[in-house]
Amino acid sequence: MATTTAAIPVGSTRTYRPIWGWYAALVVLMAWGLAAWIYELHYGLSATGMRDVVSWGMYIFTFAFFIGLSAGGLIMASSAEVFGIKALKPLSRLGVLSAAACVTVAALMIVPDLGQPFRIMNIFIHPNWTSPLIWDILIITVYFVFSVVDLYVLQRHATEPSRWRKLTRVLAYVGLPTAVLLHSITAWIFGLQIARSWWNTSLMAPLFVVSAVLSGTALVTLLALCAERFGKVELSEDTRRWLRGFIIVSLFVDLFFVGADYITVLWGNVPADRSALNLVMPGGPWAWLFWVEWIVGGVIPLAFLLVPRLKKMPGALGLASVLVIIGVYAFRIELVVIGFVNPLTQYPPGNAVGTYNAQTTSFQFIGRYHPTWVEYGIIVGLVALFAAVVTIGYRALHVMEPSPASGQGRGRAAVETQASS
Amino acid sequence: MAAKKTSVPHHVMVIDTNRCVGCWTCAVACKQVNNEPLGYWWNRVLTTAPNQSTSAKPPASDNIDVPFGTYPDLELAYLPVACQHCNDAPCVKVCPVQATFRRDDGTVLIDFNRCIGCRYCMAACPYGVRIFNWGDSTYAPGGVVGYGKEYWTGDRLVFTPERPKGVVEKCTFCVERIDVGELPFCVEACPLGARIFGDLNDPDSQVSELVNNGGGEQLHPELGTDPNVYYLPVARRVPGES
Repeated sequence: MATTTAAIPVGSTRTYRPIWGWYAALVVLMAWGLAAWIYELHYGLSATGMRDVVSWGMYIFTFAFFIGLSAGGLIMASSAEVFGIKALKPLSRLGVLSAAACVTVAALMIVPDLGQPFRIMNIFIHPNWTSPLIWDILIITVYFVFSVVDLYVLQRHATEPSRWRKLTRVLAYVGLPTAVLLHSITAWIFGLQIARSWWNTSLMAPLFVVSAVLSGTALVTLLALCAERFGKVELSEDTRRWLRGFIIVSLFVDLFFVGADYITVLWGNVPADRSALNLVMPGGPWAWLFWVEWIVGGVIPLAFLLVPRLKKMPGALGLASVLVIIGVYAFRIELVVIGFVNPLTQYPPGNAVGTYNAQTTSFQFIGRYHPTWVEYGIIVGLVALFAAVVTIGYRALHVMEPSPASGQGRGRAAVETQASS
Repeated sequence: MAAKKTSVPHHVMVIDTNRCVGCWTCAVACKQVNNEPLGYWWNRVLTTAPNQSTSAKPPASDNIDVPFGTYPDLELAYLPVACQHCNDAPCVKVCPVQATFRRDDGTVLIDFNRCIGCRYCMAACPYGVRIFNWGDSTYAPGGVVGYGKEYWTGDRLVFTPERPKGVVEKCTFCVERIDVGELPFCVEACPLGARIFGDLNDPDSQVSELVNNGGGEQLHPELGTDPNVYYLPVARRVPGES
């Protein structure tokens, strides 16, 4: 095939060198996460840094972040089929695998955030259909099932293209709207809330979709680069060009949306909007989010993707991907935390914090939030779970290897076989 | 309350800001009757300038009882805020498990046995009046005070003197008292009679008169939440303003 060549004979099942050290490290991290969760179950959510003013924290913005990451793979796999982008087809199975892993991690991320996790079945016994959360749980389930089915079909398609071609195409067409819905509904958890003007914008859903494409593509790029580095596959120049293009376009649109939102707030002088934006603007207490989002995750990666001298450097694409992911994470932190930090009632004594501390007041004006080791522990454990699922899935399913039908060489015939399948 | 009643009362509270002196008696009475743990305030008294909406301008000071303005043009008013018991309550709409619900009398309550502790309601409430039980609570020494029993409305546990951790709580309009014809405890405790409680369905009630003809205003009416708590604005004209 034209885009990926693997240094193995066609149709053979490759065996991998076991990497026990890597697995052991992941198991240790997952065990640490589990221990942190057990600690949290015992002491309640007071073990976290969240309190009444900032009542959602790291779990929720990391949840939203992983939902976003899950996009890239599926959108890439589906676009490859729907828009006939041949260069991205070799990444289809890797993309869908990462989508399934990300959405699993995102769904699990909600559990430690619950005050009564053992009542989770209430969601299915007493669903409230006006709650965006119920719709989000529904679409997450659909998306997960879809990813698994899609991965299975793509696996079968890799060995028997003629038989599974039609279903592959159908799933690709279903996949795109499913992914768009997943991100829109997750955005509407925030965007529909009239209470917090920082969230209450119709831009939220489009912004989530585009930042999902951005971070998701960057993640698949990183995974593919890892496969190239540690596996024996090679990305073609064409594949790189498409990945780079996806990242550049979605990064521009992402920054455009965020910027358009800033302009809308800055031009007016609505107190609640301005006080929220002033928290992140340079000079505000959360300005580091602004710099990470616009410079670390915006200008620098764009330079590494666009400036001719920089983009030729080895590792430019990988570096840009890492920075873009960091930038999108900063956006997620900004979205959730600023929404809470910006005071609802701007009058003394502020909002009740709901905790008693003899030294301080039981009221707080401006919300503060510092995650505790419990939150970091659980997040790190879940990230390790993601890494484990991707590693094992990659090895068990041989997701980066060419299908036997496509032939081994870079010949034109092979390209057409792949394209038509 | 008036003797004449329609089938279901529509419970409404009117707070006369002309009368409020910011003494916090309602807040402390609320803590007592509901056995609120240390640090919890279902009901609190904000320091404001007269007739300011709650998002009008940043605070003059982080401290309570500090007047707004510059000497000698100082202004000071108070705004007691607890759950507004909205008719179109965002918390009821977002609760994924229907743990927060609105009774036919307009009271918004939380089922402590059903809440999963996702805190979406706290994100959705525009008034910031909900409190989460983050861990094991600390209570004032001397044991349970106030009502001291569980209270169920239907099969819903809406009050328990010692709350389980991991659930959200807030003002209940003293549901256990109003169901037997008593007034919410803050209404009873207010030394200035600034709080008036009654049935909006009864056209002869005092609250009907105040809401319909007395200029009662809701907090954040622009959000369309339609609260069942009304505020009578400070009647005094501010010098220099028309």
